[in-house]
Amino acid sequence: MPTMTLIQAINTALDEEMSRDERVMLLGEDVGKRGGVFLATEGLQQKYGPDRVIDSPLSEAAIVGAAVGLAAHGMRPVAEIQFADYVFPGIDQLFSQAAKLRYRSGGQFTAPMVVRMPTGGGVKGGHHHSQSPEAHFAHTAGLKVVVVSTPYDAKGLLKAAIRNDDPVVFMEPKRLYRAIKEEVPSDDYLIPIGKAAVRREGRDISLVSYGGPMVETLRAAEEMAAAGVEPEVIDLRTVMPWDKETVLNSVAKTGRLLMISEAPRTASLASEVAATVSEELFDQLLAPPLRVTGFDTPYPLAQDKLYMPTVTRILNAAKRLLDY
Amino acid sequence: MVQEKIRFQPFSSEPIRLIDEQGHWNAPFEHGLPPEQLQRFYRDMLAARLLDEKLVILIRTGKTSFIAPHAGHEAAQVGIAHALQRGHDWLFPYYRDMGLVLAMGVPLVEIFGQTLGNAADPAKGRQMPSHPGSKSLNIFTVCSAIASHVPPAAGAAISMKLRRTQQVAVCTFGDGATSEGDWHAGVNFAAVQGAPAVFVCENNRYAISVNISKQTASENIAVKAQAYGIPGYYVDGLDVLASYFVMQEAIERARLGHGASLVELVVNRFGAHSSADDDSRYRSREELAAERQHDPLPRYQRFLEKQGLWDAQWANELRLEISKELEAALQAAQEAGEPDPLQMFDDVYAARPWHLEEQRRLVMDELQS
Ligand SMILES: Cc1ncc(C[n+]2csc(CCOP(=O)(O)OP(=O)(O)O)c2C)c(N)n1
Ligand SMILES: [Mg+2]
Repeated sequence: MPTMTLIQAINTALDEEMSRDERVMLLGEDVGKRGGVFLATEGLQQKYGPDRVIDSPLSEAAIVGAAVGLAAHGMRPVAEIQFADYVFPGIDQLFSQAAKLRYRSGGQFTAPMVVRMPTGGGVKGGHHHSQSPEAHFAHTAGLKVVVVSTPYDAKGLLKAAIRNDDPVVFMEPKRLYRAIKEEVPSDDYLIPIGKAAVRREGRDISLVSYGGPMVETLRAAEEMAAAGVEPEVIDLRTVMPWDKETVLNSVAKTGRLLMISEAPRTASLASEVAATVSEELFDQLLAPPLRVTGFDTPYPLAQDKLYMPTVTRILNAAKRLLDY
Repeated sequence: MVQEKIRFQPFSSEPIRLIDEQGHWNAPFEHGLPPEQLQRFYRDMLAARLLDEKLVILIRTGKTSFIAPHAGHEAAQVGIAHALQRGHDWLFPYYRDMGLVLAMGVPLVEIFGQTLGNAADPAKGRQMPSHPGSKSLNIFTVCSAIASHVPPAAGAAISMKLRRTQQVAVCTFGDGATSEGDWHAGVNFAAVQGAPAVFVCENNRYAISVNISKQTASENIAVKAQAYGIPGYYVDGLDVLASYFVMQEAIERARLGHGASLVELVVNRFGAHSSADDDSRYRSREELAAERQHDPLPRYQRFLEKQGLWDAQWANELRLEISKELEAALQAAQEAGEPDPLQMFDDVYAARPWHLEEQRRLVMDELQS
C-alpha cells in the first residue's frame, strides 16, 4: 500500500475521480500549469488537458459562480480557492447561488460541486493565510462542510464529496499538508460525509475536535493516558451535518466534553456541539462542557503559535473538567 | 479650472515611452526637470533595487517569513511616488510596493520592522511582511486580499471631493487584480462620482503563474477604462520618466476636478511571485533571461549618462551610501525585539469588550505560569 501525505492523497483522489467520470473537472487560480500553489493539482492539466483543468482569472466570484453553472448544466466541478481566507469575494456565489439553488427552485436545479480550500493557521501566514471560516459555511443552509485531518480520510472524503449531490465545502488544514504520511489504499473507497471517527477509545473524558488541532488533541490525549486518564478522541471530519450520534454516545459514556477547534470561539462549531450536548445529556454530565478555541481576534502574525489551541491549553481545560 | 498641459493621449496602441532603450529622450516636449531631481529618481530606483536584494537575503537566511520581490517594478514605483504630493495625497498600495513606499518616505526601520514582524513595526507585527502602511504618510495599510482596497480608494476619493481637500487617492494593484469584482466596482464608482482617484496597474503580465493571456481578453489593461468612461493610459513602466509624467498628468487632472483615470504601467517581474513560489514551474528560464535584458535601471542610467549626470564613481558612492543606510536600519529594527504577545487583543475594537478581556486573561495567566 502506498504511503502518502495529505496533499498527495488529495491529488490522487482528484486524479481517480477525473479518470472515472469525464464530467469531473477542476478550476481555480494557478491550478493548471503550476499545479496549484500547494501542488494539489500537480500533473493533472498535463494529463487531462486545459479544458478539464482551467487556470481561471483571479476572481473567486467567477470560480465559485462558474462552478454553480457548470454543475447545474451537468458537469461535476471541483473549484479550488487558493486560501480559505480568499473565499470572501466568492461568498455571494457560494451563499446566494450554490447553497440555495436546490431550495429556491423547489428541487428542480441542483449544484453538485466541491469547493476545496486550504484552511487554518500555524504557518506564519498572518491575517489572510490562517483563518478557519467553517462556521460561516455551516451557518449557511444548503452547504455541506468537511474538514479533513488525515491522508486516508482526505482521499475517501474528497471522492465522496465529488459524488455528492449537494455543494460541499472541502477544507484542508494547510499545516497538515506535508506533516503526516500514512498508508492510503489504491482502491476506490469512499468515506461517508456526516460520519465522525473515533480516533481513540476511553471512558473518562471526550475530546472532540476536527482538522488541524487533531494533532494537538491526540498529543494531549497521549499525555493524559500516560498520567492514567483514559480519554476518548473523536474527529468530527464533517462539521455540517456533524455526527451528533457518535458525540452523544461518547459523552453519555464519559460524562465530560471538551471541544477543541482553532476557529474563533464565538458562534463556532465548538459552541454548537457544546450546546447540543448540554441540551441532550444534561443529567448525565459530570461537568459543564468546555471549549478550547482560537481567539475572537483577527489572526495575528506575531502570535502565530499562541493563537492556536496548544497541548497545554487542552490539558489545562481537561484538568478543569476532571477536577470538577 | 483648466489643466495646464495635456501631453498624453489615452488608449494609445503603443505604450507611452519617453526614454528609449538606448537612453535617448524621445518625446515631443522638454522634460524640464532639474538635474537634482533626475538624479533623485535614480537614487530611489537604486534604493528600491538594493532593498529588494536585502529582502532576498533576509528570506534566504531565514530571518523573515515572506517576501514579494519588486525587482523590475522600480521605475514604475518611483515614478508614482514622485508624482504624488507626499503626505498630502493618499496612497492605497498592494504587497509588491516596497520600492514605492520606500520612495514615499516610509522609514527603512519601519520597513524592516514590518518585514521581521517585530516591535519596530508600527502595525505591531500583525500582518505578513510586504504589508506596509503609514498613517502619517497617508499610506493605507496593505491588505492581502487582492483588489479589496480598490473600493476603499474610491470612497476616500469621494470624501476628498465632498470635503474639497484638493487631495488625490492613488491606488495600485497588479494585472491579476483587474479580474476581481471589487476592482470593477471600485473603478466604476469613482468614475461615476467624478472622484479624484488614479487607479494604477503595475502590469507584470503574471498573476503568480497565470499569464495575462488567461487573465483578460482585452488587448491591454488600459482599455478597460473605456467601459467606465474614464481615460486609460498605456505606459512603458520600465521608463521612470514616462511613469512619472503620465502619473503627474492623471493626478493633476483628478486634483482639478476632472475625475478618475486608469494608468497601466507595463513592468517586468524579475523574481518569482514570492518567496513561497517556484517560477521555474511555469516560466522558462529563456523567457526570464530575455526580460532581464529590459531592466529599468540601466536604461535610465544611459539616459543620465547622456545628460552628464551619471558616472561610475558617483553611482558606486551612492550604492555604498544606500547599503550603509539599509544595514543600519536593519540593525536597528532587529534590536527592537519581539512585540508584547498580549498586543494580540488590542485594536480589535476601540476598547476591549468583556470576552476579549477574558481571553486576554487566559493568555496572561499562561505566560505567567
Ligand atoms: C482575493 C484573493 N485571491 C487570491 C489571492 C492569492 N494571490 C496572491 S497574489 C496573487 C496574484 C496576483 O497577481 P497580480 O494582481 O498580477 O499582482 P502581482 O503579484 O503580479 O504583482 C494571488 C492569486 C489573494 N491574495 N487574494
Ligand atoms: Mg501581475
